[in-house]
Amino acid sequence: MTFSAANVVAVGVLGLLGVGFYGLLATRNLIKVVVALQILVKSAILGLILAGYLRGQVVLGASLAITVIVADTIVAVIGLALAVQVRRKFGTLDLRSLSTLRR
Amino acid sequence: MVPVFVLLTIGLPWLGALLVWWVGNNHPRLQVSAAVFFSVTAGIASLALLFDTSSKAIISVPLGGVFGDFTLIPDGLGVFLAAIATVIGSLAVIFSIDYMRGEAQLGRYYALVLFFIGGMAGLVLSGSLLFVFVFWEITALCSYALISFHNDDPKAVAGGIKALIITQVGGIGLLAGALLAYTTLGTYEISAVLEKSTTLPPALLSFLAFGFLAAAAAKSAQFPFHTWLPDAMEAPTPVSALIHAATMVNAGVYLLARFYPAFAPVPGWKLAVMIVGATSAILAAMMALVAYDLKRLLAYSTISQLGYMVYAIGAGGVFASQFHLLSHAIFKALLFLAAGSVIHAVGTRDMRQMGGLGPKMPLVRATFIIGGLALAGLPILNGFWSKELVLESGLTGGPLWLYLIMVLGAGLTALYTFRGVWLVFYGKPRSTLHAHDAQPAMRIALVPLAAGALISWLAAGPFSQMLAATLPFHKIEASSTLHIAEQVVSEPSTLVALLVIALGLSVWWQRQHLTGLVTTFKGVQNAAIQNFGFETINNSITRAVKNTGEALRTTQTGLLSWNVLGILAGLAIILIILAWGV
Repeated sequence: MTFSAANVVAVGVLGLLGVGFYGLLATRNLIKVVVALQILVKSAILGLILAGYLRGQVVLGASLAITVIVADTIVAVIGLALAVQVRRKFGTLDLRSLSTLRR
Repeated sequence: MVPVFVLLTIGLPWLGALLVWWVGNNHPRLQVSAAVFFSVTAGIASLALLFDTSSKAIISVPLGGVFGDFTLIPDGLGVFLAAIATVIGSLAVIFSIDYMRGEAQLGRYYALVLFFIGGMAGLVLSGSLLFVFVFWEITALCSYALISFHNDDPKAVAGGIKALIITQVGGIGLLAGALLAYTTLGTYEISAVLEKSTTLPPALLSFLAFGFLAAAAAKSAQFPFHTWLPDAMEAPTPVSALIHAATMVNAGVYLLARFYPAFAPVPGWKLAVMIVGATSAILAAMMALVAYDLKRLLAYSTISQLGYMVYAIGAGGVFASQFHLLSHAIFKALLFLAAGSVIHAVGTRDMRQMGGLGPKMPLVRATFIIGGLALAGLPILNGFWSKELVLESGLTGGPLWLYLIMVLGAGLTALYTFRGVWLVFYGKPRSTLHAHDAQPAMRIALVPLAAGALISWLAAGPFSQMLAATLPFHKIEASSTLHIAEQVVSEPSTLVALLVIALGLSVWWQRQHLTGLVTTFKGVQNAAIQNFGFETINNSITRAVKNTGEALRTTQTGLLSWNVLGILAGLAIILIILAWGV
C-alpha cells in the first residue's frame, strides 16, 4: 500500500460512502437525511473523477462529475424545500412519526 | 382498410378511456357523450371487420428478443368476439347514462368500462399467446376495479378481491403455457402452436391442455372455481351485464375453442372438459333455483350456460359452443339490463320484495320475458337454436349419461327462469315499492338486444361460413342458416329437450302439489344454498393469498433506516458472491 494519489482518493471515496450510509442508517431527522445523501453523492463524484484519472480519461470523468453535481444540487434543493413544508404542515421532521404505513 | 379497423376496435375505447378521465367529473354531459361516442364508433369499426375476416396477421410488430412479435389477426373467431364486446359494450355504456346518473366519480367508471372494452377486443384479436396473457390480465384488472366500484362498501371490495385472486389462478396458467410454448417452439404465435402441436412431447402437450382448462375454468367461472361470479354481482348492473355475462367470462370458452385442434388428441382432455361443463351447468342451475337475489340468479344462470358452451367444446362442437356464446351474450346482456331497470326502479335486488311489477313497467317486462324465453331455450328465440345445437353435438360427440345431465339442466333452466319472471313481475306486490318503467337511455339499450334475441339465430349460416373460411385448423363445416335450422328441427333430440323444458315449466304451475317432493329434496336445497361447499374452498384460497400478503407486509416498514440496511445487505451479498467468483 503506497501513498499514491489514486490510493488516497480511493480511501476518501470509501470513507465518504461509509459516512453517508451511516448517516442514512442512524438519523431520523429529514434535514440530516438530506445532508447524508449529499455526502453519499460527494463520494460518487469523487469516484467518477478517480475512475477517469485511472483510465486516462480525465475530461470524461470531470464532465460526468459536473453533471452529477447539477443533478445533486436539485435533489438537495427539493429535499430541503420539502423538509420546510413538512415541518410547517406536520410540525415535525422525525421520519418515524411521519411514516403513515401501518406497522 | 382492415388494419385501420382492427386498430380502431382496440384503440378507440382506450382513447376514449383517457379522454373521459381527462374531461373529469365537473363536465358530466361531455364525459358521458365522449364515453358513448367512443364505444359506439368502436362497435361500428368491429362490425365493419365482420365483412373482411382473414386468417393472416394484419398487423405484425417485431418486438425483438424474448417478446416475439405483436400480431393482430382478424379471423372469424376473434372478430366475432370483438364485435360482441364492443357492441354490447356500447349498449351497456348507453344504459349507464340513466342507470349511473348522479353517482360520484363517474370518470373512473366510464374510463374503466372503455378500457375493458378495448382490452377484451385485444384479447380476442391478438395472435400472440404472450399478448393474449397481457390483455387477459387487463380485463381481470378492469373487472376487479369495477366490481369494487363502490369502494366504500366492504362487500363490493371483498367481491372484487375474490374475483381478482381466483382469475389470477387462470392468468398464471396462461403465462406458464405461453412461456412453455416459447421454450419448445421458439414462438408465441397461436397458429404455430396449433400447427406444430403434434411435434410436441405428449407430456408437455397434456400439461398445456389441462393447464389451459384450469385457466379457462377460473376465467369462465366454471366448476370448481365458479363462486367468484355471484360475488361479483356487487358491481353496478351495466358492468355485470357487460363483463360478467356477455364478454369477459367468455374468454375462457374462447381459449378452449381456440386451442381445441391442438388439445383434442390429448387422452382424457375432451372428457374432462365435458365433465367440467356439465358439472357447472347442473350445479349452477340448482343454485339458481334457490336464489332470491335477482342478480345472483342471473349470475348462476350465466355459470350454467357457460357450462353448456364448455361441454359443447369437449364434445367437439366448436361451432355449436360459439353459436351458443353469441346467443347467450345477447340474451344475458338483455336480462341483466332489464334486471338493472327493475333494480333501479325499486331499489332492491331481493325478489321476495318485488312481485306484481309487470303492469308498472310493461317494456321491461316484455324485454325480460323475451330474454327469459331465450334462456329457457324456447323456439323460435336464439337460445333455442344454439342450445339444441349444443345438445346435439353432445349426443354425437360425448357419452349418453352426460347428455342426459345436460337435458335435465335444460329443464331446470326453464324452471328457474320461469320462477324468476314470476317472482318479479307477476303475483301480488309483496311490498310498497314505487316502480316506474325504463328511462329513455335504458330503452335504447334494451330494445336492440330484445330484437337480437329474436333474430340473431338467422346469422347462423354466415357465421359458420366465416368460421370455416378463417380457421384452418378447426375443420368447421360451412353451412346455410336454412340447413342448420332443418338439422335442428329434424333431430329427435330436439323433441326430447323441448319436452323436458315443457316439463320444467309445468313444474312451476304445479308447485303447490310438489311440496312433498320439495321436502324430500330439502337436503339438496340446503346444499345448493350453501353453494355445495365450493364456497369454502374458494374462500380459503382467497384467505391464503390475503394472509400471505399480510405476512409479507412486515417487510414494508416505510422506515428509511431499515430500507438502507436492506440495500447494504444486498450489496454485501452481491460482493461476497463476486469475491467467490461464482
